[in-house]
Amino acid sequence: MSEQTETSSAPPNPFDTEFLIKQARSYLAFGEQMSAFSSQLHGQLQDGEDWGAMLRQNFDRFKAATLGSVGDASTAAEHGQLWTQMLDLWRQSISTLGLGAPPGGETDAWRGYMQVQNQYLDLLRQSASAALDLLEQRLRDRAATGKSIDSLRELYNLWVDCNEKTYGQMLRGAAYGELNGRLFNSLLHCYPKGETRP
Amino acid sequence: MIGLTPERIAEELRGYSARLSEGVQTLGRIGEIEAGVSARDAVHREDKLTLYRYRPRAETLHPVPLLIVYALVNRPYMMDIQEDRSMIRGLLEAGVDVYLIDWGYPSADDRRLTLGDYVHRYIDHCVDHLRERCQQDSINVLGVCQGGALSLCYSSLYPAKIRNLVTMVTPVDFHTPDNVLTHLIRHVDVDLMVDTFGNVPGAMLNFAFLSLSPFRLAGQKYVDLIDVIDDLGALKNFLRMEKWINDSPDQAGEAFRQFAKDFFQQNKLVKGEVVIGDRRVDLRELTMPILNVYATQDHLVPPPASKALAGLNGSRDYSELSFQGGHIGIYVSGRAQREVPPAIAAWLLAR
Repeated sequence: MSEQTETSSAPPNPFDTEFLIKQARSYLAFGEQMSAFSSQLHGQLQDGEDWGAMLRQNFDRFKAATLGSVGDASTAAEHGQLWTQMLDLWRQSISTLGLGAPPGGETDAWRGYMQVQNQYLDLLRQSASAALDLLEQRLRDRAATGKSIDSLRELYNLWVDCNEKTYGQMLRGAAYGELNGRLFNSLLHCYPKGETRP
Repeated sequence: MIGLTPERIAEELRGYSARLSEGVQTLGRIGEIEAGVSARDAVHREDKLTLYRYRPRAETLHPVPLLIVYALVNRPYMMDIQEDRSMIRGLLEAGVDVYLIDWGYPSADDRRLTLGDYVHRYIDHCVDHLRERCQQDSINVLGVCQGGALSLCYSSLYPAKIRNLVTMVTPVDFHTPDNVLTHLIRHVDVDLMVDTFGNVPGAMLNFAFLSLSPFRLAGQKYVDLIDVIDDLGALKNFLRMEKWINDSPDQAGEAFRQFAKDFFQQNKLVKGEVVIGDRRVDLRELTMPILNVYATQDHLVPPPASKALAGLNGSRDYSELSFQGGHIGIYVSGRAQREVPPAIAAWLLAR
């Protein structure tokens, strides 16, 4: 009855390389987007335009793409790969559990769930938009003290910090707690009791 | 000011893509990742539960065994994840006779298991097995996280069988203002969830944990992996943690129902209203010496949630150990290896 490792009793649990590649692609998309941003910013600065105004203009464009109101499709798509991290996680989890649209077409319960999911998406959008405001402010603060961002990774890490901060504030709010409950409950209402996991 | 130029970004992206490409090939060759390194023997089995004894590593062994009661929601090999990061190894080297309950993986047959089964049957049978095996009237228990809450319940109901109780990152007051897990589950219809799923899927719990910090845990962590992907040792350490994070057993439905409702939603443990089987849990019955270990930066079990035990127990020998770190760091960080097992062992061996 002796045993030294977990390998014999645990179910197979291979590392999800596809997930790694997906995150890497998102990072590369972030890089492409920042490259375009940097190119535009430097070009405008050489034309003697105001740095602060240029920053504001570019961040307005990012926010518009995030909020899905205006903006070119490519910016929206690339940016979308990044800020929808949470919604991707949710979709991946329910897909893992086999909780897709009920067979036999959409039911009222499923439509109700999709409605709640859209509300959830709106809340995430607001958080992502607030993160861009925070990032812009932090870049301005750095500029004011003469500090520069010298690598893409540094900029990405700052972007992550800002998103975690605004997301964390949202997460702890009463509205998120209530909506998170409704998201779970409305999804569960789509399935007969005891039939999702025989 | 953003000093980044498009050329600099392009150079970084080229380097990143090259490392990613090499890394994916390395991952394909790395094979199975083992976790749980210390030699151990199964000494008792019941249903899916296995009680292990870890082989001693000290010349002199303390006669009172220590039973580790781990959480139901993750796998216990976190306590022994690799040779230089093993709380169990630290305890063994200090002369503690270490036993651990492995709950196994509940299947559909287990959906009706209740907290009563876990406390009055599984834990109690393990405790009795060790009392008889080691010829002791009472034994030491170390409860970890949710396993700590179960240990508190057990020790309150069977105080004569417990000589010393150690709780580690254990929630007691589930309604402290900073408890994010309670905040998330407060509006979830637990009855609907259990009635729908039967057993609650581990993947759903994993989602809840990741949702606390998605940009770091589901994004940045994997971007950063590329930095160490050619360092085989570092890569294996990363993969061991990944294995543990994703290795979440489903939860027996009825036990989950009671734990989520009574502990998280209604905070009955601090009110003295938890009933396990047909017996009410009264924390004032905890008269044995207690060491309460908590982590100062714990985002899952905030320190006030653990420290609430101070005002609720009936022991005259209650003390706390504060660890400067987080909920996972308390098992696996270098500092934890130096500080936590020696402190727990010293406290136990002195009693």
